[in-house]
Amino acid sequence: MLVVNDLYAGYGMSEVLMGTSLAVKRGTVVALIGPNGAGKTTTMRTISGGINPTRGEILLDGKPVQGLEPSQIARLGLAHAPEGRKVFGPLSVEDNLLLGAFTRLPHFFGFQAKAAGDLDKIYELFPRLKERRRQTSGTLSGGEQQMLAIGRALMARPKVVLLDEPSMGLAPVIVDEVFDIIRRLKGSGITLLLVEQSAKRALEVADYAYVMERGRIAVEGVPQELQKNERVIAAYLGN
Amino acid sequence: MNQAVIQLMVSGALMGLVYALVAYGFQLTYATSKSINFGQGELVMLSAFFSLTLTNLGLPYYLMIPGGLLFGVVAGLFVERAGVRLALEQKSEGWILMTIILGLFGVSAAENIWGRDDRPFPTPIPTEPMQFFDISITPLEISVAIGVVMIMVIIELFKRKTLLGKAFEAVSADRDAAELMGISATRTIMLSYGLSGLVAALAGILVSPITTVGPTMASALVLKAFSVAVVAGLESGFGVVIVGLFLGSLESLTSFYVGSGWREAPGLVLLILALAVRPTGIFGKAVIRKV
Repeated sequence: MLVVNDLYAGYGMSEVLMGTSLAVKRGTVVALIGPNGAGKTTTMRTISGGINPTRGEILLDGKPVQGLEPSQIARLGLAHAPEGRKVFGPLSVEDNLLLGAFTRLPHFFGFQAKAAGDLDKIYELFPRLKERRRQTSGTLSGGEQQMLAIGRALMARPKVVLLDEPSMGLAPVIVDEVFDIIRRLKGSGITLLLVEQSAKRALEVADYAYVMERGRIAVEGVPQELQKNERVIAAYLGN
Repeated sequence: MNQAVIQLMVSGALMGLVYALVAYGFQLTYATSKSINFGQGELVMLSAFFSLTLTNLGLPYYLMIPGGLLFGVVAGLFVERAGVRLALEQKSEGWILMTIILGLFGVSAAENIWGRDDRPFPTPIPTEPMQFFDISITPLEISVAIGVVMIMVIIELFKRKTLLGKAFEAVSADRDAAELMGISATRTIMLSYGLSGLVAALAGILVSPITTVGPTMASALVLKAFSVAVVAGLESGFGVVIVGLFLGSLESLTSFYVGSGWREAPGLVLLILALAVRPTGIFGKAVIRKV
Protein backbone atom coordinates (compact mmCIF):
# COMPACT_ATOMS: atom_id res chain seq x y z
CA MET A 1 0.00 0.00 0.00
CA LEU A 2 2.82 2.36 0.90
CA VAL A 3 6.31 1.76 -0.43
CA VAL A 4 9.35 3.94 0.16
CA ASN A 5 12.38 3.23 -2.01
CA ASP A 6 15.90 4.49 -1.38
CA LEU A 7 14.76 7.89 -0.12
CA TYR A 8 17.14 10.84 0.31
CA ALA A 9 15.86 14.04 1.87
CA GLY A 10 16.83 16.75 4.32
CA TYR A 11 16.65 20.37 5.26
CA GLY A 12 18.71 22.67 3.07
CA MET A 13 22.25 21.38 2.92
CA SER A 14 21.94 18.79 5.64
CA GLU A 15 20.79 15.38 4.47
CA VAL A 16 18.80 13.52 7.08
CA LEU A 17 17.54 10.56 5.09
CA MET A 18 20.21 8.60 3.27
CA GLY A 19 18.61 5.77 1.41
CA THR A 20 15.62 4.89 3.56
CA SER A 21 13.43 2.08 2.27
CA LEU A 22 10.35 0.60 3.87
CA ALA A 23 6.99 -0.89 2.99
CA VAL A 24 3.60 -0.95 4.68
CA LYS A 25 1.26 -3.69 3.48
CA ARG A 26 -2.49 -3.21 3.38
CA GLY A 27 -4.13 -3.82 6.74
CA THR A 28 -0.92 -3.94 8.77
CA VAL A 29 0.53 -1.83 11.51
CA VAL A 30 4.19 -1.04 10.92
CA ALA A 31 6.38 0.60 13.55
CA LEU A 32 9.34 2.84 12.82
CA ILE A 33 11.58 3.13 15.85
CA GLY A 34 15.03 4.47 16.58
CA PRO A 35 16.90 7.13 18.51
CA ASN A 36 16.29 10.88 18.39
CA GLY A 37 17.59 12.44 15.21
CA ALA A 38 17.62 9.16 13.26
CA GLY A 39 15.18 10.66 10.74
CA LYS A 40 11.86 9.08 11.76
CA THR A 41 9.83 12.27 11.67
CA THR A 42 11.67 13.43 8.55
CA THR A 43 10.63 10.16 6.88
CA MET A 44 7.01 10.84 7.81
CA ARG A 45 7.14 14.44 6.64
CA THR A 46 8.74 13.44 3.35
CA ILE A 47 6.08 10.79 2.73
CA SER A 48 3.27 13.30 3.31
CA GLY A 49 4.89 15.92 1.08
CA GLY A 50 6.16 18.47 3.60
CA ILE A 51 9.72 17.90 2.42
CA ASN A 52 10.74 17.26 -1.17
CA PRO A 53 13.04 14.26 -1.48
CA THR A 54 16.24 14.79 -3.42
CA ARG A 55 16.24 11.17 -4.57
CA GLY A 56 14.13 8.09 -4.27
CA GLU A 57 10.54 7.10 -4.72
CA ILE A 58 7.36 6.99 -2.66
CA LEU A 59 4.47 4.86 -3.91
CA LEU A 60 1.01 5.25 -2.46
CA ASP A 61 -1.25 2.46 -3.65
CA GLY A 62 1.15 1.99 -6.58
CA LYS A 63 1.20 5.66 -7.62
CA PRO A 64 4.36 7.75 -7.22
CA VAL A 65 3.66 10.75 -4.99
CA GLN A 66 7.11 12.20 -4.36
CA GLY A 67 7.27 15.91 -5.24
CA LEU A 68 3.51 16.49 -4.91
CA GLU A 69 2.05 19.11 -2.56
CA PRO A 70 0.90 17.75 0.83
CA SER A 71 -2.70 18.63 -0.03
CA GLN A 72 -2.50 16.59 -3.24
CA ILE A 73 -1.06 13.59 -1.42
CA ALA A 74 -3.80 13.87 1.20
CA ARG A 75 -6.40 13.77 -1.56
CA LEU A 76 -4.85 10.53 -2.83
CA GLY A 77 -5.64 8.86 0.49
CA LEU A 78 -2.84 9.54 2.93
CA ALA A 79 -3.64 10.92 6.37
CA HIS A 80 -0.83 12.17 8.57
CA ALA A 81 -1.39 12.84 12.27
CA PRO A 82 1.74 14.92 12.78
CA GLU A 83 4.17 15.12 15.65
CA GLY A 84 2.98 17.62 18.21
CA ARG A 85 -0.66 16.90 17.19
CA LYS A 86 -1.18 20.23 15.40
CA VAL A 87 -4.91 20.54 16.08
CA PHE A 88 -6.56 23.74 14.85
CA GLY A 89 -6.60 25.49 18.23
CA PRO A 90 -9.14 28.24 17.63
CA LEU A 91 -11.66 25.83 16.07
CA SER A 92 -14.04 23.53 17.91
CA VAL A 93 -13.41 19.80 18.25
CA GLU A 94 -16.14 19.02 15.78
CA ASP A 95 -14.86 21.55 13.23
CA ASN A 96 -11.43 19.95 13.49
CA LEU A 97 -12.96 16.56 12.72
CA LEU A 98 -15.02 17.93 9.82
CA LEU A 99 -11.90 19.49 8.31
CA GLY A 100 -10.24 16.09 8.52
CA ALA A 101 -12.75 14.96 5.91
CA PHE A 102 -12.29 18.13 3.82
CA THR A 103 -11.43 16.26 0.65
CA ARG A 104 -14.57 14.12 0.75
CA LEU A 105 -17.19 16.63 1.86
CA PRO A 106 -19.09 19.33 0.00
CA HIS A 107 -17.33 22.63 0.67
CA PHE A 108 -20.38 24.83 1.13
CA PHE A 109 -23.59 23.23 2.33
CA GLY A 110 -24.73 19.85 3.59
CA PHE A 111 -21.33 18.76 4.88
CA GLN A 112 -22.62 18.16 8.41
CA ALA A 113 -25.24 15.74 7.16
CA LYS A 114 -22.79 13.90 4.95
CA ALA A 115 -20.24 13.59 7.74
CA ALA A 116 -22.71 12.53 10.45
CA GLY A 117 -21.99 8.81 10.09
CA ASP A 118 -18.23 9.28 10.26
CA LEU A 119 -18.55 11.61 13.24
CA ASP A 120 -20.58 8.98 15.08
CA LYS A 121 -17.87 6.41 14.48
CA ILE A 122 -15.16 8.73 15.76
CA TYR A 123 -17.23 9.69 18.81
CA GLU A 124 -17.81 6.01 19.54
CA LEU A 125 -14.05 5.47 19.49
CA PHE A 126 -13.37 8.62 21.52
CA PRO A 127 -16.30 9.34 23.85
CA ARG A 128 -14.32 12.19 25.43
CA LEU A 129 -14.32 14.05 22.11
CA LYS A 130 -18.08 13.78 21.93
CA GLU A 131 -18.43 15.37 25.37
CA ARG A 132 -16.21 18.19 24.22
CA ARG A 133 -17.35 18.53 20.63
CA ARG A 134 -18.26 22.22 20.96
CA GLN A 135 -15.16 23.12 22.97
CA THR A 136 -12.28 25.06 21.44
CA SER A 137 -9.68 22.41 20.68
CA GLY A 138 -6.80 24.57 21.93
CA THR A 139 -8.16 24.20 25.46
CA LEU A 140 -8.13 20.38 25.42
CA SER A 141 -5.58 18.43 27.43
CA GLY A 142 -2.60 16.91 25.64
CA GLY A 143 -4.17 13.45 25.61
CA GLU A 144 -7.46 14.75 24.27
CA GLN A 145 -5.62 16.67 21.57
CA GLN A 146 -3.85 13.45 20.57
CA MET A 147 -7.20 11.66 20.34
CA LEU A 148 -8.48 14.54 18.23
CA ALA A 149 -5.45 14.40 15.92
CA ILE A 150 -6.04 10.66 15.40
CA GLY A 151 -9.78 11.17 14.92
CA ARG A 152 -9.18 13.97 12.46
CA ALA A 153 -6.87 11.73 10.41
CA LEU A 154 -9.44 8.91 10.40
CA MET A 155 -12.22 11.23 9.20
CA ALA A 156 -10.61 11.25 5.75
CA ARG A 157 -11.25 7.45 5.45
CA PRO A 158 -7.61 7.23 4.39
CA LYS A 159 -5.88 4.33 2.69
CA VAL A 160 -2.82 4.83 4.88
CA VAL A 161 -2.42 6.63 8.21
CA LEU A 162 0.88 8.05 9.42
CA LEU A 163 0.95 8.50 13.18
CA ASP A 164 3.93 10.38 14.55
CA GLU A 165 4.90 10.12 18.24
CA PRO A 166 1.42 9.71 19.69
CA SER A 167 2.81 9.26 23.20
CA MET A 168 4.92 12.42 23.20
CA GLY A 169 4.51 14.45 26.37
CA LEU A 170 1.67 12.34 27.74
CA ALA A 171 1.27 10.72 31.15
CA PRO A 172 1.72 6.91 31.16
CA VAL A 173 -1.97 6.25 31.83
CA ILE A 174 -2.91 8.36 28.82
CA VAL A 175 -0.29 6.61 26.68
CA ASP A 176 -1.98 3.30 27.60
CA GLU A 177 -5.27 4.73 26.40
CA VAL A 178 -3.72 5.86 23.12
CA PHE A 179 -2.24 2.41 22.52
CA ASP A 180 -5.57 0.77 23.33
CA ILE A 181 -7.05 2.87 20.57
CA ILE A 182 -4.29 1.86 18.17
CA ARG A 183 -5.00 -1.79 19.00
CA ARG A 184 -8.70 -1.30 18.30
CA LEU A 185 -7.89 0.39 14.99
CA LYS A 186 -5.62 -2.52 14.13
CA GLY A 187 -8.51 -4.87 14.80
CA SER A 188 -10.63 -2.93 12.33
CA GLY A 189 -8.00 -3.41 9.61
CA ILE A 190 -6.26 -0.03 9.49
CA THR A 191 -3.06 0.43 7.45
CA LEU A 192 -0.78 2.34 9.78
CA LEU A 193 2.80 3.55 9.90
CA LEU A 194 3.63 4.39 13.49
CA VAL A 195 6.65 6.37 14.61
CA GLU A 196 7.26 5.96 18.29
CA GLN A 197 9.87 6.92 20.83
CA SER A 198 8.73 4.20 23.17
CA ALA A 199 10.03 1.21 21.24
CA LYS A 200 8.66 -1.34 23.68
CA ARG A 201 5.07 -0.19 23.26
CA ALA A 202 5.42 0.15 19.48
CA LEU A 203 6.74 -3.42 19.13
CA GLU A 204 3.85 -4.75 21.22
CA VAL A 205 1.27 -3.46 18.76
CA ALA A 206 3.09 -3.72 15.40
CA ASP A 207 2.95 -6.48 12.78
CA TYR A 208 6.33 -5.49 11.44
CA ALA A 209 8.98 -3.01 12.50
CA TYR A 210 11.89 -1.01 11.15
CA VAL A 211 14.73 0.30 13.31
CA MET A 212 16.16 3.51 11.93
CA GLU A 213 19.68 4.80 12.59
CA ARG A 214 21.33 7.83 11.03
CA GLY A 215 18.97 8.13 8.08
CA ARG A 216 18.89 4.45 7.14
CA ILE A 217 17.02 1.35 8.15
CA ALA A 218 19.46 -0.58 10.34
CA VAL A 219 17.38 -3.60 11.30
CA GLU A 220 13.95 -4.81 10.30
CA GLY A 221 11.74 -7.73 11.10
CA VAL A 222 8.68 -8.98 12.93
CA PRO A 223 8.51 -7.73 16.52
CA GLN A 224 9.10 -11.20 18.02
CA GLU A 225 12.49 -11.34 16.29
CA LEU A 226 13.44 -7.78 17.11
CA GLN A 227 12.56 -8.31 20.74
CA LYS A 228 15.21 -11.04 20.76
CA ASN A 229 17.76 -9.12 18.70
CA GLU A 230 20.60 -8.22 21.05
CA ARG A 231 21.43 -4.98 19.32
CA VAL A 232 17.85 -3.79 19.55
CA ILE A 233 17.57 -4.85 23.17
CA ALA A 234 20.74 -3.05 24.11
CA ALA A 235 19.81 0.16 22.32
CA TYR A 236 16.07 0.52 22.76
CA LEU A 237 14.43 -2.00 24.99
CA GLY A 238 16.87 -1.99 27.92
CA ASN A 239 16.10 -3.63 31.19
CA MET B 1 -27.39 66.02 23.08
CA ASN B 2 -28.82 68.48 20.66
CA GLN B 3 -30.05 67.92 17.17
CA ALA B 4 -26.91 69.09 15.37
CA VAL B 5 -24.64 66.74 17.26
CA ILE B 6 -26.80 63.74 16.48
CA GLN B 7 -27.04 64.77 12.86
CA LEU B 8 -23.26 65.05 12.60
CA MET B 9 -22.73 61.73 14.29
CA VAL B 10 -25.15 59.92 12.00
CA SER B 11 -23.59 61.29 8.81
CA GLY B 12 -20.11 60.57 10.14
CA ALA B 13 -21.05 57.06 11.22
CA LEU B 14 -22.17 56.21 7.68
CA MET B 15 -18.77 57.24 6.38
CA GLY B 16 -17.27 55.18 9.19
CA LEU B 17 -19.01 52.08 7.80
CA VAL B 18 -16.99 52.52 4.61
CA TYR B 19 -13.78 52.63 6.66
CA ALA B 20 -14.99 49.47 8.36
CA LEU B 21 -15.51 47.77 5.00
CA VAL B 22 -12.00 48.61 3.81
CA ALA B 23 -10.62 47.45 7.18
CA TYR B 24 -12.59 44.23 6.76
CA GLY B 25 -10.64 43.67 3.54
CA PHE B 26 -7.46 43.69 5.64
CA GLN B 27 -8.93 41.15 8.02
CA LEU B 28 -9.89 38.72 5.26
CA THR B 29 -6.36 38.23 4.01
CA TYR B 30 -4.82 38.49 7.46
CA ALA B 31 -7.04 35.60 8.53
CA THR B 32 -5.52 33.16 6.05
CA SER B 33 -1.99 34.39 5.57
CA LYS B 34 -1.09 36.94 8.28
CA SER B 35 -0.45 39.32 5.41
CA ILE B 36 -2.41 42.38 4.27
CA ASN B 37 -2.56 44.39 1.08
CA PHE B 38 -1.17 47.83 1.87
CA GLY B 39 -2.49 48.88 -1.52
CA GLN B 40 -6.08 48.19 -0.47
CA GLY B 41 -6.98 51.91 -0.78
CA GLU B 42 -5.61 52.00 -4.31
CA LEU B 43 -7.66 48.92 -5.09
CA VAL B 44 -10.77 50.80 -3.89
CA MET B 45 -9.83 53.74 -6.10
CA LEU B 46 -9.04 51.69 -9.21
CA SER B 47 -12.26 49.71 -8.87
CA ALA B 48 -14.20 52.97 -8.53
CA PHE B 49 -12.58 54.38 -11.68
CA PHE B 50 -13.21 51.15 -13.55
CA SER B 51 -16.86 51.21 -12.48
CA LEU B 52 -17.13 54.85 -13.54
CA THR B 53 -15.80 53.91 -16.97
CA LEU B 54 -18.38 51.12 -17.22
CA THR B 55 -21.09 53.65 -16.36
CA ASN B 56 -19.78 56.10 -18.94
CA LEU B 57 -19.87 53.33 -21.53
CA GLY B 58 -23.61 53.27 -20.94
CA LEU B 59 -23.91 50.25 -18.68
CA PRO B 60 -26.88 50.59 -16.30
CA TYR B 61 -26.05 50.94 -12.59
CA TYR B 62 -27.14 47.45 -11.58
CA LEU B 63 -25.07 45.80 -14.31
CA MET B 64 -22.10 48.03 -13.55
CA ILE B 65 -21.93 46.76 -9.97
CA PRO B 66 -21.10 43.11 -10.84
CA GLY B 67 -18.61 44.39 -13.41
CA GLY B 68 -16.88 46.56 -10.82
CA LEU B 69 -16.87 43.76 -8.27
CA LEU B 70 -15.37 41.36 -10.79
CA PHE B 71 -12.62 43.89 -11.45
CA GLY B 72 -11.94 44.00 -7.70
CA VAL B 73 -11.69 40.21 -7.48
CA VAL B 74 -9.29 40.01 -10.43
CA ALA B 75 -7.18 42.85 -9.02
CA GLY B 76 -7.09 41.15 -5.61
CA LEU B 77 -5.95 37.89 -7.21
CA PHE B 78 -3.31 39.80 -9.14
CA VAL B 79 -1.95 41.36 -5.95
CA GLU B 80 -1.72 37.92 -4.35
CA ARG B 81 0.07 36.37 -7.31
CA ALA B 82 2.40 39.27 -8.08
CA GLY B 83 3.13 40.65 -4.65
CA VAL B 84 2.40 38.17 -1.92
CA ARG B 85 2.72 34.52 -2.87
CA LEU B 86 6.45 34.33 -3.37
CA ALA B 87 7.18 36.27 -0.19
CA LEU B 88 4.93 33.98 1.86
CA GLU B 89 6.46 30.85 0.38
CA GLN B 90 9.87 32.09 1.47
CA LYS B 91 8.49 33.13 4.85
CA SER B 92 9.67 36.67 4.15
CA GLU B 93 7.99 40.00 4.92
CA GLY B 94 8.58 41.13 1.34
CA TRP B 95 4.82 41.37 0.77
CA ILE B 96 4.76 44.63 2.75
CA LEU B 97 6.97 46.45 0.28
CA MET B 98 5.49 44.65 -2.72
CA THR B 99 1.90 45.61 -1.92
CA ILE B 100 2.92 49.23 -1.25
CA ILE B 101 4.71 49.30 -4.62
CA LEU B 102 1.73 47.78 -6.42
CA GLY B 103 -0.42 50.48 -4.78
CA LEU B 104 1.87 53.30 -5.96
CA PHE B 105 1.84 51.73 -9.39
CA GLY B 106 -1.95 51.76 -9.24
CA VAL B 107 -2.01 55.50 -8.49
CA SER B 108 0.29 56.25 -11.43
CA ALA B 109 -1.81 54.08 -13.70
CA ALA B 110 -4.98 55.84 -12.59
CA GLU B 111 -3.47 59.30 -13.14
CA ASN B 112 -2.35 58.30 -16.62
CA ILE B 113 -5.56 56.61 -17.65
CA TRP B 114 -8.20 58.76 -15.96
CA GLY B 115 -6.35 61.99 -15.07
CA ARG B 116 -5.67 63.70 -11.78
CA ASP B 117 -9.02 65.36 -11.29
CA ASP B 118 -11.73 64.25 -8.97
CA ARG B 119 -14.80 63.22 -10.89
CA PRO B 120 -18.43 62.88 -9.91
CA PHE B 121 -19.81 59.34 -9.82
CA PRO B 122 -23.40 59.23 -11.07
CA THR B 123 -25.92 57.11 -9.21
CA PRO B 124 -29.62 56.46 -9.73
CA ILE B 125 -30.20 56.34 -5.97
CA PRO B 126 -31.89 59.58 -4.84
CA THR B 127 -29.84 62.09 -2.86
CA GLU B 128 -32.69 64.22 -1.46
CA PRO B 129 -32.60 63.94 2.32
CA MET B 130 -35.42 62.20 4.14
CA GLN B 131 -36.37 62.96 7.72
CA PHE B 132 -36.23 60.32 10.45
CA PHE B 133 -37.00 61.73 13.91
CA ASP B 134 -35.69 65.13 12.72
CA ILE B 135 -32.44 63.61 11.44
CA SER B 136 -31.96 63.93 7.72
CA ILE B 137 -30.51 60.99 5.85
CA THR B 138 -30.31 60.51 2.10
CA PRO B 139 -31.36 57.24 0.48
CA LEU B 140 -27.83 57.15 -0.94
CA GLU B 141 -26.39 57.05 2.57
CA ILE B 142 -28.83 54.32 3.52
CA SER B 143 -27.72 52.32 0.50
CA VAL B 144 -24.12 52.56 1.72
CA ALA B 145 -25.08 51.24 5.15
CA ILE B 146 -27.13 48.40 3.69
CA GLY B 147 -24.39 47.48 1.21
CA VAL B 148 -21.67 47.35 3.86
CA VAL B 149 -23.69 45.35 6.37
CA MET B 150 -24.99 42.95 3.75
CA ILE B 151 -21.62 41.99 2.31
CA MET B 152 -20.10 41.57 5.75
CA VAL B 153 -22.96 39.37 6.95
CA ILE B 154 -22.68 37.23 3.82
CA ILE B 155 -18.91 36.78 4.19
CA GLU B 156 -19.14 36.11 7.92
CA LEU B 157 -21.80 33.45 7.29
CA PHE B 158 -19.53 31.94 4.66
CA LYS B 159 -16.64 31.81 7.12
CA ARG B 160 -18.62 30.32 9.99
CA LYS B 161 -21.14 28.07 8.30
CA THR B 162 -19.38 26.55 5.30
CA LEU B 163 -16.59 24.01 5.36
CA LEU B 164 -14.49 26.17 3.07
CA GLY B 165 -14.87 29.04 5.52
CA LYS B 166 -13.68 26.82 8.35
CA ALA B 167 -10.76 25.84 6.14
CA PHE B 168 -9.85 29.55 6.08
CA GLU B 169 -9.44 29.45 9.82
CA ALA B 170 -7.59 26.15 9.69
CA VAL B 171 -5.01 27.62 7.30
CA SER B 172 -4.67 30.59 9.61
CA ALA B 173 -4.21 28.40 12.69
CA ASP B 174 -1.70 25.97 11.19
CA ARG B 175 -0.88 26.13 7.52
CA ASP B 176 1.10 22.86 7.41
CA ALA B 177 -1.53 20.87 9.28
CA ALA B 178 -4.22 22.25 6.98
CA GLU B 179 -2.24 21.00 4.00
CA LEU B 180 -2.18 17.52 5.58
CA MET B 181 -6.00 17.60 5.58
CA GLY B 182 -5.94 18.16 1.81
CA ILE B 183 -6.64 21.88 2.14
CA SER B 184 -4.48 23.78 -0.33
CA ALA B 185 -3.10 26.77 1.58
CA THR B 186 -2.17 28.54 -1.64
CA ARG B 187 -5.69 28.32 -2.98
CA THR B 188 -7.23 29.39 0.30
CA ILE B 189 -4.99 32.45 0.42
CA MET B 190 -5.84 33.22 -3.22
CA LEU B 191 -9.51 33.06 -2.39
CA SER B 192 -9.08 35.40 0.56
CA TYR B 193 -7.31 37.95 -1.63
CA GLY B 194 -10.08 37.65 -4.20
CA LEU B 195 -12.69 38.28 -1.50
CA SER B 196 -10.66 41.16 -0.16
CA GLY B 197 -10.58 42.68 -3.65
CA LEU B 198 -14.34 42.23 -3.94
CA VAL B 199 -14.86 44.05 -0.66
CA ALA B 200 -12.57 46.89 -1.79
CA ALA B 201 -14.45 47.26 -5.06
CA LEU B 202 -17.78 47.37 -3.25
CA ALA B 203 -16.41 50.06 -0.92
CA GLY B 204 -15.38 52.07 -3.98
CA ILE B 205 -18.74 51.74 -5.68
CA LEU B 206 -20.64 52.64 -2.49
CA VAL B 207 -18.56 55.61 -1.38
CA SER B 208 -17.79 57.25 -4.73
CA PRO B 209 -21.18 58.92 -5.31
CA ILE B 210 -20.67 60.68 -1.95
CA THR B 211 -16.96 61.54 -2.13
CA THR B 212 -16.30 61.69 -5.91
CA VAL B 213 -13.59 59.58 -7.57
CA GLY B 214 -9.97 60.64 -7.82
CA PRO B 215 -6.46 59.22 -7.55
CA THR B 216 -6.05 60.75 -4.07
CA MET B 217 -9.11 59.08 -2.56
CA ALA B 218 -6.97 56.03 -1.81
CA SER B 219 -4.63 57.50 0.76
CA ALA B 220 -7.35 59.28 2.72
CA LEU B 221 -9.44 56.13 2.92
CA VAL B 222 -6.72 53.62 3.65
CA LEU B 223 -5.23 55.55 6.55
CA LYS B 224 -8.54 55.58 8.40
CA ALA B 225 -9.29 52.01 7.49
CA PHE B 226 -5.94 51.10 8.91
CA SER B 227 -6.71 52.93 12.16
CA VAL B 228 -10.00 51.07 12.38
CA ALA B 229 -8.34 47.73 11.73
CA VAL B 230 -5.64 48.29 14.34
CA VAL B 231 -7.97 49.69 16.99
CA ALA B 232 -10.50 46.90 16.48
CA GLY B 233 -7.93 44.16 16.07
CA LEU B 234 -7.40 42.07 12.96
CA GLU B 235 -9.77 39.27 13.92
CA SER B 236 -13.21 40.65 14.62
CA GLY B 237 -15.55 41.68 11.81
CA PHE B 238 -18.02 42.95 14.40
CA GLY B 239 -15.20 44.97 15.95
CA VAL B 240 -14.37 46.92 12.80
CA VAL B 241 -18.01 47.91 12.39
CA ILE B 242 -18.21 49.28 15.94
CA VAL B 243 -14.88 51.10 15.70
CA GLY B 244 -15.71 52.33 12.20
CA LEU B 245 -19.01 53.84 13.39
CA PHE B 246 -17.22 55.42 16.33
CA LEU B 247 -14.36 56.87 14.30
CA GLY B 248 -16.71 58.17 11.62
CA SER B 249 -18.84 60.08 14.13
CA LEU B 250 -15.82 61.38 16.00
CA GLU B 251 -14.32 62.64 12.77
CA SER B 252 -17.43 64.43 11.74
CA LEU B 253 -17.77 66.08 15.17
CA THR B 254 -14.11 67.10 15.18
CA SER B 255 -14.27 68.65 11.76
CA PHE B 256 -17.38 70.65 12.70
CA TYR B 257 -16.41 71.86 16.15
CA VAL B 258 -12.61 72.05 15.92
CA GLY B 259 -12.14 72.79 12.27
CA SER B 260 -12.12 70.78 9.07
CA GLY B 261 -8.31 70.80 9.04
CA TRP B 262 -8.42 68.52 12.10
CA ARG B 263 -10.55 65.95 10.33
CA GLU B 264 -7.76 63.40 10.07
CA ALA B 265 -6.64 63.80 13.67
CA PRO B 266 -9.02 61.46 15.55
CA GLY B 267 -8.06 58.47 13.41
CA LEU B 268 -4.36 59.01 13.99
CA VAL B 269 -4.79 59.67 17.72
CA LEU B 270 -6.83 56.47 18.07
CA LEU B 271 -4.19 54.56 16.11
CA ILE B 272 -1.38 55.77 18.36
CA LEU B 273 -3.41 55.11 21.51
CA ALA B 274 -4.25 51.60 20.38
CA LEU B 275 -0.65 50.77 19.53
CA ALA B 276 0.53 52.14 22.87
CA VAL B 277 -2.13 50.60 25.10
CA ARG B 278 -3.51 47.52 23.40
CA PRO B 279 -1.66 46.43 20.26
CA THR B 280 -3.91 43.40 19.71
CA GLY B 281 -6.89 45.76 19.35
CA ILE B 282 -9.99 46.13 21.49
CA PHE B 283 -11.64 43.09 19.96
CA GLY B 284 -8.43 41.17 19.34
CA LYS B 285 -8.28 37.78 21.00
CA ALA B 286 -5.45 37.03 23.32
CA VAL B 287 -3.92 33.82 22.06
CA ILE B 288 -4.91 30.85 24.18
CA ARG B 289 -2.49 28.01 23.83
CA LYS B 290 -2.27 24.95 25.97
CA VAL B 291 0.27 22.24 25.38
